Amino acid sequence: MTDQGHGKGNARVMETRDLTVGYGKRTVVQGINLNMLKGQFVCLLGPNGSGKTTILRTISGLLSPLKGTIYLGSRMLHDLSPHELAGSMAVVLTERLTPGVITAFDFVALGRYPYTDLLGRLSQKDIRKIRECLHLVNADDIANRYFSELSDGERQKVVFARALAQEPEIIILDEPTIHLDLKHRIELMSILRDSCRRKGITVIVSLHDVDLALKIAELVILVKDGGIMACGPPDEILKEDTVARLYDLKCARFNSMLGTIDLIGDADGMRVFVVAGGGTGIPIYRLLSRNGLEVSTGVIHENDIDYHVARTIGAQVIREEPFREIRDTGFHDAFALLEKADHVIDSGFPVGLSNRKNIKLLLKAVEQGRRVYTLRSREAAHDLYGESAEKLVFCKELRSILGEMARHV
Amino acid sequence: MVLAIFFVLSIGIGSVSIPFSDTCRIILGHVTGSTPGAIIWKIRMPRVLSSLFCGGYLAAGGLLLQVFFRNPIVGPYVLGISSGAILMVALVMLGGLSMGLPAIHPLFLSLAAFCGALGVMVIIVAAASRVKSIVTLLIIGLMMGYLCYAATSILIAFAEREKVKGFVLWQMGSFSGFTWQEFYLVMLLGIPLLVGAYLMSKPLNAFLLGEDYAKTMGVNIRLFRFLIITFSSALAGLVTAFAGPVAFIGLAIPHLARITFRTSDNRVLIPGAVLIGAIVTMLCDLVARTIFSPVELPLSAITSLFGAPVVIGLLLKKRGTI
Repeated sequence: MTDQGHGKGNARVMETRDLTVGYGKRTVVQGINLNMLKGQFVCLLGPNGSGKTTILRTISGLLSPLKGTIYLGSRMLHDLSPHELAGSMAVVLTERLTPGVITAFDFVALGRYPYTDLLGRLSQKDIRKIRECLHLVNADDIANRYFSELSDGERQKVVFARALAQEPEIIILDEPTIHLDLKHRIELMSILRDSCRRKGITVIVSLHDVDLALKIAELVILVKDGGIMACGPPDEILKEDTVARLYDLKCARFNSMLGTIDLIGDADGMRVFVVAGGGTGIPIYRLLSRNGLEVSTGVIHENDIDYHVARTIGAQVIREEPFREIRDTGFHDAFALLEKADHVIDSGFPVGLSNRKNIKLLLKAVEQGRRVYTLRSREAAHDLYGESAEKLVFCKELRSILGEMARHV
Repeated sequence: MVLAIFFVLSIGIGSVSIPFSDTCRIILGHVTGSTPGAIIWKIRMPRVLSSLFCGGYLAAGGLLLQVFFRNPIVGPYVLGISSGAILMVALVMLGGLSMGLPAIHPLFLSLAAFCGALGVMVIIVAAASRVKSIVTLLIIGLMMGYLCYAATSILIAFAEREKVKGFVLWQMGSFSGFTWQEFYLVMLLGIPLLVGAYLMSKPLNAFLLGEDYAKTMGVNIRLFRFLIITFSSALAGLVTAFAGPVAFIGLAIPHLARITFRTSDNRVLIPGAVLIGAIVTMLCDLVARTIFSPVELPLSAITSLFGAPVVIGLLLKKRGTI
């Protein structure tokens, strides 16, 4: 393996054919047909207990397959000797390591196992390689510290450096981010991605973060109910309903366009109609939904970010086609919803040609004597609403709206 | 260096005290004619040398199993090796398996102990190739120990009092009465085992990460399991055969070595543990035979009394590094 760029051609490094994995007589996942290419970032997603770990243990040779075959390049995995296997595949497991009194450098040096002599003495080349791997994971400064003294994040980097030092074609990682905080999680993921790009290593990883998988993986494999639910590029596979089905999401929704997960409002309180647009609605939607209020909103254009977030939290949305001026049907639908709501909020959205009817919507509400809470300043409101602005309830910040609303039920 | 000084001291001190300078002279000049010369060359020399080697063997055997089981509180006897030896010796000493001989020859006793240790070892090795998990293997070893212990207790219940006392003393371990002949046997059988253990230090290092990791790094797990159990059991069995079960050394010396050398690298640790094991065992034997001279204390009592608090103290001081 060289450090030069590689043609991300179509070199197949691993393939499974009709693979069934499990323990003894108990089948965990069956019908696994996968194709993994050189330098590909492969992500296994699925709920706890779906068999991700069993699959990873089987393709790393730790567990015998119950049925089917695994090919590593052109050879069958279970024909390879442990030594040959170690030269082409490295593994990072979830178990917590307690290697005793050993420095980070020595820990990474264990990765040179397949290349060292009978007594495991390191050559100059080995030492260079170990330093290089420590550098790749930004761990130069902790090389001489004892492994047991490192934080979870530092440990995981060192553990990955050991896998790198094995100079494999494939690195398999079982939930490597599970104990890590956000910073280390992202750092580790970017290290993994760099290993794919720069070194042409195929990384196969099981994750719980759907959002990270969507952004980083080139191939995602969804494992559910003893089978492969779907397999392909993330933007094709990770759709809203697929993710909901994968994790049996009932109280949250995944938005594939934003790559975010929002809790669906468990609405039992009052109904609030929000007039929003241009992203001004997002904090309001989340605040209301967090506080158990039922949210409806309109009129929002389908290309507006507010539209996506409103939908993922399960709000009722009156929508308009992208860039089109709001039509009367939408206007009336929105007003009908507004009338049913207990409170009305003006998010302070920017006003332009296509959404100016939303101002008319609010004016109409004010004229009918509805309390309308606005986040605009007085001057801005006067410019938009004229004299009717006096009847608005001005709120300086978002949280004060909740208090105001509670006082005027 | 430390070893050499303690070695000379051990030879010199005893129920018949011999001055330090005389001791050096006798050892270096190989004087055998005088009485001190005879004591040193016929009695003390083989005894001290044997304690050195046996201590080293036990420490190495314990270290192998501690790495293998990834558990710091196992020793070379955890797989029931000593229990097997004890049972066989009980059969010989108490059960009348002496084949009508009026006195039991010490070598015959050693042979019996070695057979017992070997028997248990064969069972454990056979089990090792069947079971998947190392922990299961550990439990099988413990159960073997209980079984042998139960059988031994039954034998004790039926035995004559005098014989039981002799048996109990044997059970506490002792290096007394080691002859040159026995020492050569121990040395020649043990040294290849030590060399073998040292040659395994690379896969042992891989084992620091656990069996699964070791496998993905290219260790042939089955072969390695077989080797590690065979070597550690043979080392412990060898010592038990000649000196009886010696407590604590195999369990605690690896810890002392880890703390002394500040590493878990088995390439350093195996020779280190052998060295420390040798020194500590020799000193314990010295104390056992001199402190209430001419009454000789059981060796295991001394090793445990001295060693256990030392290890606890060191561990508390260096908390978290093991």
